Amino acid sequence: MHPATGPAWLVWLETSGLGVAMRQWLWLYPIVEIVHIVGFVILVGSAFMFDLRLLGLGRGLPVSAMADHLLRWSRWSLVLVVPTGGAMFIAHATEMAENPAFQLKVALIVTALLNAAVFHRFPFRAVGDWDTEIAAPLPARLAGGLSLLLWTGVIACGRLLAYF
Amino acid sequence: MTRLVRHFVVAGALLVVGAGGAAAHHGWSGYDSGKEMNLTGTIKEAGYEHPHGFIRLETPGKTWNVVLAPPSRMENRGLPREQLKPGTKATVVGYPNRTDPEELRAERITIAGKTTELR
Repeated sequence: MHPATGPAWLVWLETSGLGVAMRQWLWLYPIVEIVHIVGFVILVGSAFMFDLRLLGLGRGLPVSAMADHLLRWSRWSLVLVVPTGGAMFIAHATEMAENPAFQLKVALIVTALLNAAVFHRFPFRAVGDWDTEIAAPLPARLAGGLSLLLWTGVIACGRLLAYF
Repeated sequence: MTRLVRHFVVAGALLVVGAGGAAAHHGWSGYDSGKEMNLTGTIKEAGYEHPHGFIRLETPGKTWNVVLAPPSRMENRGLPREQLKPGTKATVVGYPNRTDPEELRAERITIAGKTTELR
């Protein structure tokens, strides 16, 4: 319903073959949505389990081993999440770009990725000192708590896209 | 950073306004079910598209943007793409958008004597 008007590159995306197929093929859109959901369940589910460990749950499990196992799944899930998210964006590019829930979602994703990068660059370097049975240092716990909040916000915005 | 702060403010506002918000276009809460309307007119333009199909319906005095159902549902219920051709007569029963005076969400549509439920 939203007219394809706005910045030229958004109009180009929306009127591209993929954009038209996403809107008009009967089952493409729901399939892409399902793959996106499966992808972010893996992404956020494994991130949450790791964040809860940072916050002190399951202290018998080594943080380094959990990072190695869980965050590998988080990273690989992007193969499902990013292309499907891109396809849904292209289907309604001009409308999405103006949607406040979408703008916030992108800002929260960027913040969550920065949070993860800072965590790996700083507190996680010394994970050997607090790998098992010892409380993680405050910066690591903060990163874990922030990650829980940010990814919850991303999911909320993703759902609220349809309502604005 | 100020942009980020603004986004957090927007988020707070969004959560307060909630799904029944003024700009809501998804679901049914943005439409006034107390004002059921029955419109008959001619289809000027049609989109058999995700997430919702639509028609521009020309009625005497006004052209409405009528929001229909997802195309997969319309197909399942026997309203294929070919029936939503410009020039076709259609009757819709539905509810007006609470804020957009040109938009109506259709509960059902009748084309060539066949009624399709859209909800």
